[in-house]
Amino acid sequence: MKQGSSIVIDPVTRIEGHSKITLHLNEDGRVEEARFHVTQFRGFEKLCEGRPFYEMPSLMARICGICPVSHLIASAKACDSLLAVRIPPTADKLRRIFGLAQVTQSHALSLFHLSSPDLLLGMDADPATSNIFGVAEKNPELALDGIRLRQFGQRIIERLGGKRIHPAWIVPGGVSEPLTEANRDAILWALPDALAIAERTLEWFKSTMERFREEISVFGNFPTLFMGIVKKDNGLTFYDGKIRIVDASGHVVADDLDPTQYFDYIGEKVEPWSYLKSSYYKPKGFPDGVYRVGPLARLNVADRCGTPRADQELAEFHELQRTAVLSSFHYHHARLIEILYCIERLEQLLNDPEILSKHVRAVARPNALEGVGAAEAPRGTLFHHYKIDEQGLIRWVNLIIATGQNNLAMNRSVLQVAKHFVHGNRLTPGMLNRVEAVIRCYDPCLSCSTHALGEMALRVQLLSPDGEVLDEVARP
Amino acid sequence: MARVLIIAYGNPMRSDDGLAWRAADALEGKFSSLQVEIVRTHQLAPELAETVSRCETVIFVDAAFADAMGNGSPGEIRSAPIGVPQAASRFSHQLSPAAVIALAHQLFSAGPRAFSVTLTGQCFDHGESLSPLVAAALPALVARIEALVQQLLSFKTPPACNKA
Repeated sequence: MKQGSSIVIDPVTRIEGHSKITLHLNEDGRVEEARFHVTQFRGFEKLCEGRPFYEMPSLMARICGICPVSHLIASAKACDSLLAVRIPPTADKLRRIFGLAQVTQSHALSLFHLSSPDLLLGMDADPATSNIFGVAEKNPELALDGIRLRQFGQRIIERLGGKRIHPAWIVPGGVSEPLTEANRDAILWALPDALAIAERTLEWFKSTMERFREEISVFGNFPTLFMGIVKKDNGLTFYDGKIRIVDASGHVVADDLDPTQYFDYIGEKVEPWSYLKSSYYKPKGFPDGVYRVGPLARLNVADRCGTPRADQELAEFHELQRTAVLSSFHYHHARLIEILYCIERLEQLLNDPEILSKHVRAVARPNALEGVGAAEAPRGTLFHHYKIDEQGLIRWVNLIIATGQNNLAMNRSVLQVAKHFVHGNRLTPGMLNRVEAVIRCYDPCLSCSTHALGEMALRVQLLSPDGEVLDEVARP
Repeated sequence: MARVLIIAYGNPMRSDDGLAWRAADALEGKFSSLQVEIVRTHQLAPELAETVSRCETVIFVDAAFADAMGNGSPGEIRSAPIGVPQAASRFSHQLSPAAVIALAHQLFSAGPRAFSVTLTGQCFDHGESLSPLVAAALPALVARIEALVQQLLSFKTPPACNKA
């Protein structure tokens, strides 16, 4: 071992975006520091300046090919604020349906296509077979379920929005077209199969957890705050509500926070080694104000789901720990419970007597010069904040994305995993995969978080104390 | 399900990378929708394996890069059958055409005949227009695909699946 070393993993694989990891070793060859670097930059906030505000939902959807619907929703809500309108009740419900379909397909992508190789084949599996083909070989039903569940969500988006990626159906003031009876019936017809897939995948996942006791103990298993939007009754929601924050013991730290006043309690810090900003809870300062968002956080802050099967599973989930559920490995578990909730909630909304109403859009001119829209994206809380001039042209934009809010926790998680699994100055595939797998728990979307054009990959570097690169692993 | 599935893929906001979408637009209406289905997509995801499994023949249309070895020059059209690969590459979000066929075979026991038709691009920068060279070659690309489809539809029974 040379004095002063570091390991670089570049690129990180099976995530959404381009990044690298640097592990710094001390003079004893032990991991001392870990950094998760996001190496892409795009600057959407600047690109939008000067554009008419009503273009924002469509422009913002272009940030991401996986969760464009979340950006559409948050952007449209910010524009609703600029119009100062209350959208028609049916439009509100249709937007919720759109969002639930998006969460289902995005969670399915994360769990089945990106993480199921780790869960089914094990963390030490040969990287050459640790992919969807390896899953299809060992458990064809699981691979088929992943494809079918993702199709289920995508087809709802296509039915409502006209296309699977970058649909422009959600507009300021509501949605552009009502739901047809034929489309409603087609979605309802597909619900039982989707529910059955969610149920059996959840059972399968729970049956595998015992194999991952060591990973559960060190995959981001540390105290942080957890933040999410909840309904007035503290139930799970993806569309609208109040911000709630709980601490590691599960106690409520802040409740009834107004999402449109996010800047009062969320700070952002820029680090010189990454394009991804780090968010923190202002009252606790940086870095003590580290918090997590996304499925794990949402289930930690919510008292209930509000649908029968998801409520049963949430109660079981809360039994995992007497405090808040801390290990980021449980993001996978939370993701599956949320899929169950989404499917149940879709059925409730589609059977609403108002859902076929033709009144789906409120029309107005801008009535305010500043607007904030917030919603729960698959990966966590999403804020869009716009300022316009008297002509309705965008003058200033701020976007706070889930992956940025998880950045501090992801860095700590990489450090925790690396300290536990990485020894010496060479990387083994098992070490490398666990470092990557802990990041995959968060399902980071780096295209979203840097608002950047994405390339899919990761790089890990092992650095000595004097900065010399001891080992480096790159994957296409 | 149509007998022939045309999958036009690429990013229409990256100049020539969107040429397959332009070809798809030009092919729209040339064939009965009962016989030919056209799908436009940004990239090839695993879900396409199910769509592919329900047709006799798949034609993947894409923009190609001119590589550093001098293979392919901007405006050049290439067409080739796709075999079932013996080993699949690591998956992130996108698959190769051969991997989509392999997944259809593995999960759905389907063996559609598959072809790749590419046009080598010149410019892949941000933009929604094609480079002049590629725009000029687009009608020839469309004609090549049209001729291939006509030939495939002339078979009364599905031809055997390509072998690797």
